Amino acid sequence: MSLVLSQAINAIMLGCTYSLVGIGFSLFFGVMDIVVFCAGDVAIFAAFSITALVSIVGLYAALNLALPPFLSTVLIVIAGASLTGVLMLALYRLVIKPFENKSALMPLLSTIASGVALRELIGIFYPQGRNPQTFPQLLPGGALSDFAMISWRNLIIIVATLLLVALLYLFVNKTKIGLSIQAVSQNREAAIMVGINWQQVVLITFLLGGFILGIGGFLVASYYDVVRFDMGSMYGLKGFCAAVVGGLGNVYGAIVGGLLIAFIEVFVSAFVPGGTAYASVAAFLMVVLFILFKPEGVIGEKTIEKV
Amino acid sequence: MINKAGAQLSRSLMAIAVSLGICLILYIALVSPLPITLLVLAIFLGLIVMGERSGGIEKIYAAMEEHKGEALVVAGIFALLLPLLVSGNNYLLHVVVMGGIYSIIALGLNFQLGSTGMVNFAPAAFYGTGAYTSAVLAVKFGISPWVGILCGLFMAALLGIVFGFPALKTRGYYLSLVTIALQVIFTLMIINTDWLGGPNGIPGIPGYEIFGFSFRRPLEILGMRLPYQTNYFYLVFLLLSLAALAASRLYNSRIGLAWNAIEQDEIVAATQGINLTKIKLLAFSIGAAFAGVAGALYAHYTSFIGNEDFDFNKSLVLICMVLLGGMDNVAGVILGSLLLTIIDEKLRDFADYRMLMYALILIIILIARPQGLLPKRNRKYQIKQDNNEGYNVTVTAGGK
Repeated sequence: MSLVLSQAINAIMLGCTYSLVGIGFSLFFGVMDIVVFCAGDVAIFAAFSITALVSIVGLYAALNLALPPFLSTVLIVIAGASLTGVLMLALYRLVIKPFENKSALMPLLSTIASGVALRELIGIFYPQGRNPQTFPQLLPGGALSDFAMISWRNLIIIVATLLLVALLYLFVNKTKIGLSIQAVSQNREAAIMVGINWQQVVLITFLLGGFILGIGGFLVASYYDVVRFDMGSMYGLKGFCAAVVGGLGNVYGAIVGGLLIAFIEVFVSAFVPGGTAYASVAAFLMVVLFILFKPEGVIGEKTIEKV
Repeated sequence: MINKAGAQLSRSLMAIAVSLGICLILYIALVSPLPITLLVLAIFLGLIVMGERSGGIEKIYAAMEEHKGEALVVAGIFALLLPLLVSGNNYLLHVVVMGGIYSIIALGLNFQLGSTGMVNFAPAAFYGTGAYTSAVLAVKFGISPWVGILCGLFMAALLGIVFGFPALKTRGYYLSLVTIALQVIFTLMIINTDWLGGPNGIPGIPGYEIFGFSFRRPLEILGMRLPYQTNYFYLVFLLLSLAALAASRLYNSRIGLAWNAIEQDEIVAATQGINLTKIKLLAFSIGAAFAGVAGALYAHYTSFIGNEDFDFNKSLVLICMVLLGGMDNVAGVILGSLLLTIIDEKLRDFADYRMLMYALILIIILIARPQGLLPKRNRKYQIKQDNNEGYNVTVTAGGK
């Protein structure tokens, strides 16, 4: 029983990290109707920039002199995530905007290519970037309780995700900009007609999405304790799967999707004999089945194409 | 009358000259160092763009179409002589062999990506299926590689049908995710299956043999000793010609037309009486069969295969080739694959930067010239009449 519970908590943690990337995918898809495939690599870029800030610049140690450790962690994570937001804006200008009204294949390919480029740039220019880097211990690691091995870190990852989603909910539903984002994702033309500055909304969405991806990258790196330059491709793929399972464009669906994928992955590797090697295979198979038989996702409206 | 004959002759000379020119450009790109290769390519692209601006390229296209035979003969002779031209440099021959293998896969991928507009991110899985089928049959069961090619073809075509099923129900992003997921599943299955060598791959795959002559032995013709790659070069060249012939026949058939119709608008195509299930699965299975043959060739050429040869990155590279050459254009796809293979090999000195270069090349092509080197052509249907007047029915396909 305790094993099942601890695996469940493990799955929830993993699911949280997947859902953050899924949320990023869904946000971008909502406003632009495109899939930004480099999201996973952008998230891992955040993990690397946080590692650089802590181990190379020594920001954490410096901040710790003046502030309590918890606060300096928050500051560093926000710094890393903001960097990622800016990176996402740059990517939007460079590889997404040129393909605005072109066939859907082109932004897909260009973002895949920029994901590869980003990954390789990290591998080439980060000191010893091709080797796994130890991720700095910014979250307290002590056990909260012996039962089911809940550590502080697990709890913080889950709480941070919940907090972020709650903030996102408030932002999207209570602020004017958030409402414009919703309006654009529901119907771009109508939104432009009622006087919403569409370009501005897109920029803000990409900044916001980049920020969320950055936090996702921080959490996933904390979960594994190491970051590798090529982690982003798998992480991004799982995040995309989460978004699709939840219904592409639906932010809350992405959370359900992320949890579903993480549960399958964790439980297959824990309870199926010899399943560790096939955990990802099982998760992807589920996604393929989902797309084939319920393409609108867990939460999502069925769309019927009109001629 | 004489005037007309003269015009005919000059057009046929033009076709021959263009064909020879393309061969020379490829040859120079192959033998010279990287900067010259890039310079030659830039000039080539500049010529194409200039031709498009001035409309001269239409004349060339027309001449090439009219005198296809001459142009192909020139290219064929050039290919036959190539091993002598590079004077038995086995590395350069290796590059050309790999280019030929990739061309075959790219031609197959083009059926899905170019003709039908179905995103397929799993060509490397088809390629791997062919390679692993043929290699396992040869290494574990001692079956002749010639039979292995056929088995590889069938297995890949079968996998193509399986991978094609999602394309019946979804398209666009969903289809791309499905094919990416299937590609990743394929790679993971190979890594985790010990019987297929797992992460160690399959070493010691035998080469081809014909009437007791092993393809791994140097070839001796006219008192010249050519490296063993020459044998494979001729084999790959033969199969590539067959593949190109099949691809252009398909393009000109009703199947090719149906593929283009689906690319334009699926619903309209269905209402025109096109059997979507059949035609879409055909695109996947035929394309996969091409890749399967290429995979079998590759396995028996390099004698070692591992999972890295068939992963998602390889799929991206293959997509890059089709895009660079020009979607739905047989000559363009072959040209793109050969050029990209050559550039890739030149970049071997900067192994660390290879994937980065690929990514940048892909982005630059997408932004600067999304239609590829040789863009897809409008379909022309001509009804010949006796009085030589004729009337043209020009059908525009793929005017995106």
